[in-house]
Amino acid sequence: MLRHRWQGLLAVSGIALGVAVVLAVDLANSGARAAFELSAQQLQGKATHRLVVPGVSLPDEVYVNLVRQPAAPPMAPVVNGWVEIEGTSGRYQLVGFDLFAEPPFRSQLSGVANRAGFTADWLTQPGALVLGATTARALGVVEGDSLNIVYRGKQAKLSVLHIEPSQSSAADDLLLVDIATAKSVLAMQGQLSYVDLILDAAGEQWLTQHLTQHLTSAVQLQSVADQAQGVTRLSAAFELNLTAMSLLALLVGMFLIFNAMTFSMVQRRNLFGRLRAIGVTPRELFKLVLLEALIVAVIGTAIGLLLGVWLGQGLTRLVAATVSELYYNVSVTALQLDWKSLTTAAVLGIVATLLATMVPAWHAARTPPLTTLSRAALEQSARRGVPLWALFGLLLLLAGLLLALVVPGGVILSFAGLFLLVLGAAMMTPLMIRAVHRLLTRAALPGIWRMGVRDLDRHLSRLGIAVAALMVALSASVGVGVMVESMRGSVNNWLSDLLSADLYVAAEGFDEGAHLPAVVVTEVAGLGTVATLSRYRDRILPLADRRVELIGASLATESRNGYALLSSSSSTWQEFDAGSVLVSEPLAYHLGLKSGSRLELPTPHGPLQVRVAAVFRDYASEHGRIILDEAVYLQHWPEQPVKTLALFAGNGDIESMRREVSELAARHSVVMTPAAAILEESMAVFDRTFRVTDVLRVVSLIVAFIGVLSALMALQLERGKEYAVLRALGLTRGQIAGLISGESLLMGFLAACVAMPTGILMAWVLIESVQRRAFGWTMPFSVDGALLLQTLLVGLLAAGLAAIYPAWHSAQRDPAPQLRED
Amino acid sequence: MRHALLLLTLLLALLLSACDGDTPQSTTTLRVDQAMGGKPDAGFARALEPRAFKFPQDHGAHPEFATEWWYLTGNLISDTGQRFGYQLTLFRVGLRPGQAQQDSAWRTHQVYMGHLAISDIAAARHYSAERFARAAAGLAGARSDPFEVWLGPWSIHTDNERSTLAVAAQQNDIGLSLQLQPGNKPLVLQGERGLSRKSATPGNASYYYSLTRLPTRGELRIGDKRYTVEGNSWLDREWSSSALDKDQAGWDWFALQLDDGRDVMFYQLRNKQGGVHEFSRGKLVEKDGRVHTLLPNQVTLTPRRYWQAKDGERYPIKWRMQVADHQLDLEVEALIDDQLMDHTVRYWEGAVDVSGSHSGKGYLELSGYDSREQLTDE
Repeated sequence: MLRHRWQGLLAVSGIALGVAVVLAVDLANSGARAAFELSAQQLQGKATHRLVVPGVSLPDEVYVNLVRQPAAPPMAPVVNGWVEIEGTSGRYQLVGFDLFAEPPFRSQLSGVANRAGFTADWLTQPGALVLGATTARALGVVEGDSLNIVYRGKQAKLSVLHIEPSQSSAADDLLLVDIATAKSVLAMQGQLSYVDLILDAAGEQWLTQHLTQHLTSAVQLQSVADQAQGVTRLSAAFELNLTAMSLLALLVGMFLIFNAMTFSMVQRRNLFGRLRAIGVTPRELFKLVLLEALIVAVIGTAIGLLLGVWLGQGLTRLVAATVSELYYNVSVTALQLDWKSLTTAAVLGIVATLLATMVPAWHAARTPPLTTLSRAALEQSARRGVPLWALFGLLLLLAGLLLALVVPGGVILSFAGLFLLVLGAAMMTPLMIRAVHRLLTRAALPGIWRMGVRDLDRHLSRLGIAVAALMVALSASVGVGVMVESMRGSVNNWLSDLLSADLYVAAEGFDEGAHLPAVVVTEVAGLGTVATLSRYRDRILPLADRRVELIGASLATESRNGYALLSSSSSTWQEFDAGSVLVSEPLAYHLGLKSGSRLELPTPHGPLQVRVAAVFRDYASEHGRIILDEAVYLQHWPEQPVKTLALFAGNGDIESMRREVSELAARHSVVMTPAAAILEESMAVFDRTFRVTDVLRVVSLIVAFIGVLSALMALQLERGKEYAVLRALGLTRGQIAGLISGESLLMGFLAACVAMPTGILMAWVLIESVQRRAFGWTMPFSVDGALLLQTLLVGLLAAGLAAIYPAWHSAQRDPAPQLRED
Repeated sequence: MRHALLLLTLLLALLLSACDGDTPQSTTTLRVDQAMGGKPDAGFARALEPRAFKFPQDHGAHPEFATEWWYLTGNLISDTGQRFGYQLTLFRVGLRPGQAQQDSAWRTHQVYMGHLAISDIAAARHYSAERFARAAAGLAGARSDPFEVWLGPWSIHTDNERSTLAVAAQQNDIGLSLQLQPGNKPLVLQGERGLSRKSATPGNASYYYSLTRLPTRGELRIGDKRYTVEGNSWLDREWSSSALDKDQAGWDWFALQLDDGRDVMFYQLRNKQGGVHEFSRGKLVEKDGRVHTLLPNQVTLTPRRYWQAKDGERYPIKWRMQVADHQLDLEVEALIDDQLMDHTVRYWEGAVDVSGSHSGKGYLELSGYDSREQLTDE
């Protein structure tokens, strides 16, 4: 090994890179996920149950009455809401606790509660705030400073009473205030967001009984498990994104290791031959090689783990930043070194290395010494294996498609199918190379090019896997790219259709409970410039473990036309007017609903049976949305205020309507938005969701590029003598450099060629299987030519860049000393 | 008095630490000097001279003062002959003087702390619990007419005819539900017409009155077992904004109901040198209701036996009390050694038996022995 320190170094670095990329992506994902979950959980504390009025707040009396019952279990009232902090972009959760009710539940305030005078200040100073150290640093505040926060357009001032030193990574993203402050800031006088409870079986029974006897049925007791189903999860779309990227990293990492190891094995067939010739038995040789591989694997994996942790820190911050922008502020102060990620990466490093070594080692040990010494023989055997590999690959690919598209199952199955598909395609790559090679040899290429083409085939054993690694990275990039583009296009079309009105009027802030004052609704309706309008009322309805949005709408014809109905009849809108509902595609998919199905909605006065008039395309909520005619809606939820108004100028002047409405909006501090602005904002959010995808794509491409570079370098270095001969035969430095670059570019080209169909296939599986199973929505599949061209260019660029150093190096060397060596 | 020191400790505790819920292991080191300089805010009213008590108003809260309590103790016996002691105390603490800001109905300057304890003498077990709540939104509070003071599910209130006091408190493994009759003892104004001075410093005093013998019936609960009980209770009411002088270390407080119908209250203030402070005071209530003041030179208290708590503090739980002027030579001994109230404020409060020249029952409170505290007024 020492004699071949180049190969040794490359093998180690290949393994290290593979391990590092898997670990880094995994750490970033689990870090962001953990941070998000922690943020959600830190609020939950030790509560087992929660008392809520679904969709709205809980009257104080419910809690006060309960707390005075002799048999009352431990209870803690909470008032919370999302606020913005002036001068920052993130959203923060403002949480109001009752300090005295907290000890059995949460520990956020347990540290500070011992501080001199804290309790008195906390309870008596309106606006007294406790912040985590990380958040405080991010906001640039110290104890005693004040913060201006905005809630539904209203400003409030908080003053930092205490900054809690961070203990856990993300446990400090909350703005903690006394419940009295929260009630005042969040306009929740007389109301609680919910009451946390710790209940055993007897407690649960007592409470249920008490509720039925003394309280209205609107108050519900939910277990924490029920809660976790809805709010506390990252949006499944984002989660999916992260999972897909972990998978991609795993694939690329595996190929890198395979690449490095097979390369190192192939390169040393001479040594093995000599060892066999001096009498080392095949068994001994096999053992020796495996032992060596194990050592390399351990060193490579160790370095890879370190590198991965380092790389993971940067990535984690990036993913966390995206999570913060999309959802709310989570901070990742320390990397979460979870054992699962570390173990996965380490096992991958060692197992993949050993597997990659096994076949060539077995080969080297088995073949007679003389044959081993001959490179031609090895290449020949590799070439013989090509069709077999391809056949096996094809089978895997088909199995993958079957698994993803035909076999019924969940998202995991879809991903497994995707994995097999890519693996299969990678195994078919050498055959593709050969096919292209055949094609090119028939073409009349200039001599030097023909040489390059021939070389490629000659070095198939070594280059095949490098090309496959690049191919996997490129195809994943195509696959995810096509999926994102398809989705972007679909969302864009869907929104453009849906946002058919000229102007929208909504309350300031985007919180669940935000609504328009009644006077605004009346005044807008009375405006002369408004030809028609649609009204939307909106509440969250727990339905089949989902947080379904129930929309009560009075829809103008223009608004109706904006809905893309998937399962409908000619009488859909008549049925809607008669009380039937429209159901969004994801909900329809998960509940198996179609036009004509029946659905039961929980209302405050018992269940309501409704008929499904049609299913509409919808990407707004993976939980699902139901639209009900306003008149029917108001029979069951008469209190629900209007959330949004959609205004149409009709044949009138949009500009004068805008002027009128804008004057009215300013007067009542509500927001007036043109459809275009909403579309723009929505698409910006969409793009932000997938920004992290882009970065991860680039990371995997860089890693693949390094793989190609190392393969190429090793090859070119080994072929130094060959180049020396060529030089001696009269090839110029330029021609040598050209030969190397050409070969490399050809590799990039081949990788891109295989990557394009593979990527499109991946995208198809992602859309038809993964998206459908995860969210229940469908979208037209659209392949963007520019994306394919980009893939080709990236492939060529990676290969071209990888060739620069080897080309320069080989061309620079003086052929004489190399020739003399023999 | 019940106890200026307790008042101080309490204030400190509240200003220092939030409650620990049901877990009685406050690790807080109560350091007076660090905390607040030992003095309640100057904005609170002070007990400077005797006041004209008005009832029922004065049964309610006096938020212009920093602290206040409704302090019930009693010795009870079950219909099966088992003896019990109980304590239910509701403390009011003014965190700041004056009215709270009106930004929310939950905003207040007033906080309530409650201590509940039951001593099961036969089983030699002492159970206790602690609660806190703000005096807002109906979570805790006090009113005088009809009288009620409550802290969550714990409450003391008059019944419909206003003839009896109903006392109810439940928490985890213990609970009580008692009716207290007025009995035939008068309301006793402690100290000088209800002004109980703790030191020579003006304002270091409290308003203090007692109902020394309230015939009691009701039910106690320990775990799932319920006991029908009867006996006598003692109610102390006190409010003030005072602090202790810096040489005072703690007190030993006796509330004894003698079988001959006399009731004795005496608190002995200890100074730091271990001596008896000159402001120690007491009252002896005759069977017919006549009241005699007890001065430190009339009462001799001798500790006879100590009990050592886990943390090493030694509590004198057996005493000899001699009051020559009233022909009393009493042995006062704890019915259970460990009746330590180990909560945010740590003190020993427990049922005692009286023997010697006269027999009886009572309650003993020992404070200022907590090694965590450095009771100074600096």
